[in-house]
Amino acid sequence: MLLNKFQIGSAKNSRKGNYRKGDLGSALLFLSPTLVIFSTFILFPVFFSFYLSFQKWNMFSGDATFIGLDNYTRMIQSAEFWQVLKNTAIYSIGTIPINMALSLWVAYLLNKKIAGKKFLRTAFFAPVIISPVAAALIWRWMYDPNFGLVNFFVESLGLDPVNWLNEPTAAMFALIIMSVWKTFGINMVLFSAGLQGIPESYYEAAELDGAGKWAKFWNITIPMLAPTTFFIMIMSMISSFQVFDVVYVLTSGGPLGSTKVLVFYVYEYAFKFFEMGYASAISYFLFALLFLLTMFQIKYLKSKVYSVA
Amino acid sequence: MRYLKKFIFIFLALSILFLSSCGSEKKKTDGEITVKFWHSFISSSVPALKDLIAKFEEQNPGIKIDAQYIPSGDALIQKLVTAVQSKTAPDISWLHSDYIEALVEADAIYKMEHFINGEDGISQEDLNDIYPALRQFASWKGTLYSLPMEATNLGLMYNKDLFKKAGLDPNHPPKDWQELIEFSKKLTIDKNGDGTSEQVGFFVPIFPAAGPLGSWMVWQFMPFLWQAGGDFVNVEQTSVLYNSDEGVKALELWQQLYRDQNLKNFTNLFENAFVSGNLAMALDGPWNLPRYKDLLKNIDWAFAPLPAGPFKSATVVGGEYLAIFKQSEHPDAAWKFLKWMIQPDIQAFWSIKSGYLPIRHAVLNVPEFQKYLDENPNFKVFVEQMEVGQAQRPIDYGGLEISRHLAEAIENATTGNADVKKSLNESAVKSNKILTSSKK
Repeated sequence: MLLNKFQIGSAKNSRKGNYRKGDLGSALLFLSPTLVIFSTFILFPVFFSFYLSFQKWNMFSGDATFIGLDNYTRMIQSAEFWQVLKNTAIYSIGTIPINMALSLWVAYLLNKKIAGKKFLRTAFFAPVIISPVAAALIWRWMYDPNFGLVNFFVESLGLDPVNWLNEPTAAMFALIIMSVWKTFGINMVLFSAGLQGIPESYYEAAELDGAGKWAKFWNITIPMLAPTTFFIMIMSMISSFQVFDVVYVLTSGGPLGSTKVLVFYVYEYAFKFFEMGYASAISYFLFALLFLLTMFQIKYLKSKVYSVA
Repeated sequence: MRYLKKFIFIFLALSILFLSSCGSEKKKTDGEITVKFWHSFISSSVPALKDLIAKFEEQNPGIKIDAQYIPSGDALIQKLVTAVQSKTAPDISWLHSDYIEALVEADAIYKMEHFINGEDGISQEDLNDIYPALRQFASWKGTLYSLPMEATNLGLMYNKDLFKKAGLDPNHPPKDWQELIEFSKKLTIDKNGDGTSEQVGFFVPIFPAAGPLGSWMVWQFMPFLWQAGGDFVNVEQTSVLYNSDEGVKALELWQQLYRDQNLKNFTNLFENAFVSGNLAMALDGPWNLPRYKDLLKNIDWAFAPLPAGPFKSATVVGGEYLAIFKQSEHPDAAWKFLKWMIQPDIQAFWSIKSGYLPIRHAVLNVPEFQKYLDENPNFKVFVEQMEVGQAQRPIDYGGLEISRHLAEAIENATTGNADVKKSLNESAVKSNKILTSSKK
């Protein structure tokens, strides 16, 4: 509906003669602060890093040398690059399903009439607002083998303490748990909005037909939520492939490089070794990968999304 | 078209407004010169720095030092590089030795000879009085590009109470590798036998190789390499030497200590462990002395020299250096501060206030410094250790990347429990590739 209104409105305006003479000028005037910031900090870096990905440049000596596709071939030949890509994939495959299932479940529970609903919603959303660095620091404390809260609980359950951040598999798991905790709140809010958009009459109709709780959930809630789910899936995939800050603080890519993800690798080459060309090439690889994955999702999943009017 | 022109004009006008508000403005008041000085001193050193600057300004009327804090490590070099690019570099910056390569390549800093041989210069004797390791560190490819402001080295911090409890003589810290292994074993306690030690003897500083503490780990490994008789890289800088038999010996020591004490299941927040009495020995430096006075007041603790290796005694010397930027408008005033800073009595003053070590021998003859040493035996340990202090020879190209490869080998051999020789050799292959490719 909103979209239609907008389209009608803009169609009207675009009719010739409906412009007043100063329109474009004043529009640009009001837009110019955004345009300046957008072009300096987003547009320019996007094109500049593409240019850089074919150069060898260390940021301080003025001249960059053109080296063709060398950065890209170096990337493909590097064993570390593939390891890092694998780590990123494991992280994404680990976070996205848990994140989505948990946020849907919590949103579903909070959609019912229960006491303290507002408080609980705020509480679950709070981690999203906390600075990632502060959150990761807190979790590092909690995961500490000697002073940590997590092992305290593990041990009081009578289990052997786990070395969360010093054992490759455990560290990835620790990172996934923390990331889910940190980000599921935003998805929960999106799912809540989706749930509230489902008309009550559908459920009533289903009840008249004798549908149980599960039948209603599977046949009404899930299909009706499909557009929301689709959106969340694409966004979570993009953000999980771009994860950096929590990794940097929580595990620093360790132990033994087991949690080193793609953006961490880019950071290391760009701002530690100052190999801007190589770092830009990896960034463009990441862009291409995300672009293809998103296109794939849109093409093959969108037809399955049940759209309402 | 008319709109477009108008738009371009407005766009440009706003960009100029936006950019000029980012630039810094220097306000001058009647001939007074302000020297911008960037540093990364930890907060406990800042009061000492303030006193130092006040003293300078009092003795040099007309020059004001505007000290600005920049977070250390990655942030400082990133900020310096961008500042040089955007022509907003400070007059003086405090920096680590590994940054000199980048700054020289950018043609950002002065050679020291420019000032040393100038009208207001300093004598060769004065220069030679600075510890050789520091002079080497302040240079790049044999040319002096900075002057040291302070020195540090690494000592062994130990808890006397825990020594007593374990039946060891609290006044006899480990004097060689053998004793270090032996004492560590005695001081490690796993009360309930669950594989997690409640108390650990000696903390081996293992951190993720690619993380912010990776190069810190390598720095602490250096003295062990030298104690075994090894070195980091050959003089011609064509291949690394850390995978030699001596390097293997040093890393095997770390591996054994790590394994024996099951450090894999121990916290890497070693300071917390030491404060809470769960750790008996750790490597640490004099920069923490002012902080420890308060933090460790419930513990009977002391510093000792590093245990000697099979080949010799050694510790690693670090320091921070002051460089003058070519973009500076007042290079002579900046030089005045550097020259003033390395005088023996100023060094003594700064050392006593900050807990850093002096950069030259002559300071030891300053009476108030001698008195201070007698009153502060922990500090004296570090000053005396300067005699066996060594610095890692600066690598001309790719030093940070090579350091990361060594860090990976150390992490593999400890956390990963991999074969020492194999890890070092694998790492050396990667490092040598960097060394040979940079020679082309």
